[in-house]
Amino acid sequence: MESARHVFRVLFLLLVVVVIFSVGRTFLVPKSYGAYGPYRFDNVAEQAAIRPPQHGGSASCGACHAERLKAVAAGAHRRVGCEVCHAPLARHVQDGARIAAMPVDRSFTLCARCHRRIEGRPAAFPQIVLAQHQGGVEGTACIDCHAPHSPKL
Amino acid sequence: MDETQSDAPAPAPQPAPEPVGRREFLSNALRLGGGVLVFLAGAPALGEGPVAEGYDWTQHRYAYLIDTEKCIGCGSCVRACKAENGVPDGFFRTWVERYVVSPEASHVDSPKGGLDGFPPIQTPFTPTKSFFVPKMCNHCKETPCVQVCPVGASYRTQDGLVLVDAERCIGCGYCVQACPYGSRFLSPTTHTAEKCTWCYHRVTKGLKPACVEVCPTGTRQFGDMRREDDPVRLAIAHGRVSVLQPHLLTEPQCFYLGLDKEVR
Ligand code: SF4
Ligand code: SF4
Repeated sequence: MESARHVFRVLFLLLVVVVIFSVGRTFLVPKSYGAYGPYRFDNVAEQAAIRPPQHGGSASCGACHAERLKAVAAGAHRRVGCEVCHAPLARHVQDGARIAAMPVDRSFTLCARCHRRIEGRPAAFPQIVLAQHQGGVEGTACIDCHAPHSPKL
Repeated sequence: MDETQSDAPAPAPQPAPEPVGRREFLSNALRLGGGVLVFLAGAPALGEGPVAEGYDWTQHRYAYLIDTEKCIGCGSCVRACKAENGVPDGFFRTWVERYVVSPEASHVDSPKGGLDGFPPIQTPFTPTKSFFVPKMCNHCKETPCVQVCPVGASYRTQDGLVLVDAERCIGCGYCVQACPYGSRFLSPTTHTAEKCTWCYHRVTKGLKPACVEVCPTGTRQFGDMRREDDPVRLAIAHGRVSVLQPHLLTEPQCFYLGLDKEVR
């Protein structure tokens, strides 16, 4: 019958499209895609393991430098983490072993980042204007007078 | 074909069934086909296993709190972010802006995103107030960047982060355009979209994001909205917080304390 042939043709075409689609989909769509939404769920775990943490936090520094940490914790810089002025822990220790010396920046620039008086800082925050400070000259190391780990103001 | 049949006598004892017109047939076929496709597309292979060892992402929903009144513009956060995430030179996942404001004029600067702190500044007007505003991806709940991604590379996790799957990203840059906060960039090395991840590799291990870890003033705080006694949760619940560009209805999950009207 003429109409049956037409029906068959269209159904056959549809079937071919569906088969091509599902075969193509299996190859093109990553395994975990759509598990929780229109994205590749495996990537969440990949992001969680993308690299080991670089910063360890002051407590991890205290594992070896307990005395230092105690001194810092008692002073005006108690909220300043070791890694703020030095460097991320991962540059110094990896897998529990020391791999390099921790950088020690003695420059004026380091202290100036927080304590130079500039437009923008909260007024109550301790800041200095170099010209009015001990006749200071740019480049003089603050830490010649101020102990960085427990500064007296 | 439909015309040839209409005048043929009905030989069957029962009344001739209504002939199915071509139009009706095709529309039915399309509907059936569409249904099959939807069924196939909606039957994903389920991913299993935890996101990380001993970490259940349904037990967390993170939020970020920035107290602009405390920020001293030291840029420690920007440096920490760069070191923690290997952010390419000249690009920023987080940055700090300085606003110097008078009733008549205002000046905003962010030299190298605040990476090296801020220099003294002379403005042609006399400022009446000035302050720093740290910025980053807001991990919006109704996020335009995810909506525009054509390949499902940008997505929002169940613990409340917006992440980019670099493997799927085709580098079209739509999301970079769509983000109203300028939080994204195309990495010059991988040519994929990159942005703040709230240090997902740290928070899934119970650590704070690097910027929060180093901030010496407590400007930046990270919290978990699913923990009853979380200080950030309480601050958001009880404090007068605001978000950037609330009129865009993106529902940012970075909340600000003391945000000035000048800030956009
Ligand atoms: S801040 Fe921009 S990149 Fe981040 S979630 Fe919102 S729209 Fe997306
Ligand atoms: S580390 Fe803290 S105080 Fe320093 S610029 Fe960043 S947010 Fe501001």
